[in-house]
Amino acid sequence: MKELVEFLARSIVEDPDAVEVEVEEGQDGDWVVYHLYVADNDMGKVIGKQGRIANAMRTLLKIAATRRDIRVSLDIGD
Amino acid sequence: MAGTEDDNDDDIREDDTESVETTGKNVEEAIDDALDELGLERHEVTIEVLAAGRAGLFGIGGEPARVRVSRVSFEDPEGEDVAFAQETLETMLGLLEIEATVTMRAPETPGDGVGLMKAVLDVHGEDLGVLIGRRGSSLSSLQYLLNLIVSRRFKHNKPFAVDVEGYRRRREEELEDMAFQAAERVRRTGKPVTLEPMPPNERRIVHLSLSKDPTVETASVGQGDARKVSIHTLR
Repeated sequence: MKELVEFLARSIVEDPDAVEVEVEEGQDGDWVVYHLYVADNDMGKVIGKQGRIANAMRTLLKIAATRRDIRVSLDIGD
Repeated sequence: MAGTEDDNDDDIREDDTESVETTGKNVEEAIDDALDELGLERHEVTIEVLAAGRAGLFGIGGEPARVRVSRVSFEDPEGEDVAFAQETLETMLGLLEIEATVTMRAPETPGDGVGLMKAVLDVHGEDLGVLIGRRGSSLSSLQYLLNLIVSRRFKHNKPFAVDVEGYRRRREEELEDMAFQAAERVRRTGKPVTLEPMPPNERRIVHLSLSKDPTVETASVGQGDARKVSIHTLR
């Protein structure tokens, strides 16, 4: 799932090299938070108007998470 | 069966267009008869409503519905952007750990986005309901992100439609049936009918399916997620 976030982000930003994804996992392995970092200029590119792009990414993450029976969330920036 | 470069204009291409006109008690029946006659399914044809028909009182003074149904043929889409879109979607599915294959075809119907979309990417596999989501919400996200990625490399391109196991086609047929039935009710009662709220692509299907019906008119009313199609008589 980390690879999914990386692939999506790198495919839509201007500066793919600046894309980083940090993974934060719950102790029981029942939840994961992905922290996505991109270049300042690219923040709009991964968030989108009214968060549309970020929400579409969350929807895809949810597809993967449902199959693994875990909860997942996506945070962008700090 | 795409034509080759050597195709001669004089060639007789019998299966290119076939068209029949049929009548029936109502539009639905006339269409079904036409499809039977052509041996085709709904998604392989375009439908023109020539006369909407009117039920008479006690079987007197009625008018049959008349439709023209024509077969349509399409060329397979090709090009660098098409190949890139297919590869990108396959990569996305791979990262979602979903086993599926992707095939490409030309848009054929309003639901495919004919005239709007470059091509349709069909996803085939088992147990893909999760890719569709509630009312197609997951499918919308998948299509949205795919087009975002493709448009980064190929600017000013028509977008691609994504379908999963024929979901969009089934939904389109549901919407057409709903539209025809509502139009029938509007004609019978003379009162306008307002359908449930729908996203823009679904409203477009309803508008188009009734655009050639001379007896009713459609309009979208309401704002945002609550926007819906209203149908009323033109007489």
